[in-house]
Amino acid sequence: MMDRIAAFGRVGIDTVASFGRASQFLAGVLGGVPRPSVGFPLLIRQLYAVGVLSLAIVVVSGLFIGMVLGLQGYTILSDFGSEAAIGQMIALTLVRELGPVVTALLFAGRAGSALTAEIGLMKATEQLSSMEMMGVDPLRRVIAPRLWAGFLAMPVLAMIFSVVGVVGGMLVGVEWLGVFEGSYWGNMQASVDFFDDVVNGIIKSVVFGFVCAWIAVYQGYDCVPTSAGISSATTKTVVYSSLAVLGLDFVLTAVMFGNF
Amino acid sequence: MESSAYITLKDVVFSRSGRRIFDGVSLAIPEGKITAIMGPSGTGKTTLLRLIGGQLRPDSGQVTVAGHDVPKLKRRDLYRLREKMGMLFQSGALFTDLSVFENVAFPLRVHTALPEDMIRDIVLMKLEAVGLRGARQLMPSELSGGMTRRVALARSIALDPELIMYDEPFAGQDPIAMGVLVKLIRDLNSSMGLTSVLVSHDVPESLSICHFACIIADGKVIGEGTPEQLREHPSERVQQFLKGEPDGPVPFHYPSGDAASDFGLPGGAA
Amino acid sequence: MAQRTTEIIVGLFMVAGLAALMFLALQVSGLSPKSSGDSYTLSANFNDTGGLAPRGKVSMAGVTIGTIDSITLDKQTFQARVVMSIDKDVDNIPADSAAVIRTSGILGEQYIDISIGGDMESLTAGETFYTTQSAMNLERMISNFASGR
Repeated sequence: MMDRIAAFGRVGIDTVASFGRASQFLAGVLGGVPRPSVGFPLLIRQLYAVGVLSLAIVVVSGLFIGMVLGLQGYTILSDFGSEAAIGQMIALTLVRELGPVVTALLFAGRAGSALTAEIGLMKATEQLSSMEMMGVDPLRRVIAPRLWAGFLAMPVLAMIFSVVGVVGGMLVGVEWLGVFEGSYWGNMQASVDFFDDVVNGIIKSVVFGFVCAWIAVYQGYDCVPTSAGISSATTKTVVYSSLAVLGLDFVLTAVMFGNF
Repeated sequence: MESSAYITLKDVVFSRSGRRIFDGVSLAIPEGKITAIMGPSGTGKTTLLRLIGGQLRPDSGQVTVAGHDVPKLKRRDLYRLREKMGMLFQSGALFTDLSVFENVAFPLRVHTALPEDMIRDIVLMKLEAVGLRGARQLMPSELSGGMTRRVALARSIALDPELIMYDEPFAGQDPIAMGVLVKLIRDLNSSMGLTSVLVSHDVPESLSICHFACIIADGKVIGEGTPEQLREHPSERVQQFLKGEPDGPVPFHYPSGDAASDFGLPGGAA
Repeated sequence: MAQRTTEIIVGLFMVAGLAALMFLALQVSGLSPKSSGDSYTLSANFNDTGGLAPRGKVSMAGVTIGTIDSITLDKQTFQARVVMSIDKDVDNIPADSAAVIRTSGILGEQYIDISIGGDMESLTAGETFYTTQSAMNLERMISNFASGR
């Protein structure tokens, strides 16, 4: 019994300690701003790896989710004879919730895991150490551009996701099921508020982008530099990012749309 | 020898995850010479290099490089000191996303503001020195193990350091590659006057090129001197290591209980 | 050279993001480029504002002509004071017009509808609607109906 309590306590202390390490790590990354002439090309390359290469999966998922929302929404709303409200339903769902959340989950799976594996492998092959020995801080040179790229790419991806989803919903609702196009857009525009809905959705995706990128680079940097260590770090990235995104989503939704 | 020591370690104690790796190691590495640090696997030879490079801090004791007290250096000064050090990692540690040329150019681009054509000349010179000028466009994944290490060597001398540290340069190399590396290490030392520290457990190669050698085991220096002095060293452990005898002061068996009782045989005293 | 291509692609990516933002702003949320800068305020006192909320719309003949700025309680009269901003273009609201709280649909949100009067003079900035009609309270209506009053 005492053993179990002690073990429980140890897990708690370990968790707090790893939080502390991750925060120190973050401070180290953000602490030094590299020279723009050096940092900018690095950032561009990472934006390509993290953002552009995630675009395909985001667009395809957005399209299908929009189409599914169109189908489901039509079925439910037509029971009340208000299938014209389908545009409103699709847009609000996407802009407030599914855009930021699903993009973040896809991002964690597509880009986050790749970041972790890449950094972990650089650690395992002593590339990070050798950089340090050359008098170059790997936190600034390797980690910082990746963190910033994740941070910048996520809102862009989430917005593209929402737009594609709205178009997908229109394809199903208007083109296929025959909802009047004017009421699709009209209802949408009447109920979606730019600041309350769109901007809040973007804020969500900014937060998610930051958290996902942070988890991914930290797991890579902190991993045990063996093949087993890298694979478990990659898994952890996806699991922790997903949980963090869903948990934070609840908190942010309560603050933004909770009305209290 | 003491007067011209480039690196000195004094009573260095270092432990990691509860295990004591160095227990009062004192060492002086002379300037402009090749010093080999040898010892069985797992005695923390790489750790020693990391202590010199300031990547790790000792629990107690002093590490001095070129007059700087490494563990007490501020981050900035440490990074500046490291520009004078080159380190050749066991795996080469080339940046996998950069070509051979870019790998060698990396330290130049980061630490100097040289124009592009000058960087090109320096890189080609360094690649020429290791005999790989023709391989400049290859990616690290296309290189053999020996070539990887030669490129890494070219990279570590790109900034013309005062000190170069070799971490197991001979491990896992075929005889030809090993011969090439031995020649390169010796040439670099004699032509550029580099202080070289060589960490290895390949006794014949190391002894053949080094001016001084020391042997570390169980966290202590058990023998040091010139290769000739070491060969005549009275300590049994030094002789066992140099000759590679399977049994001796370092036992063949990992410490274990009585064999008979372990196998469940009767008569085993428990 | 490869770096150049990457730069261009990343540039396109960011442009796509901006385009998405514009689409969300204009097409999805119907944000019109003309801002609330060119508007003037009118106010109205109601006995009961029901579920009226700030940022709600103010309309005339079904066309949105402004938004609700604030809803506060007047401690002297115990009435709710609603301040709204009206588009500058609509500067000829007859002075005897009434502000009426209506509900869009049965369960939709509430908004202020302005029923036009016949006065030759118009309301100017800072003036108050003379006649108002409070929110229709479904519960009260049903209880009034049931008790026969």
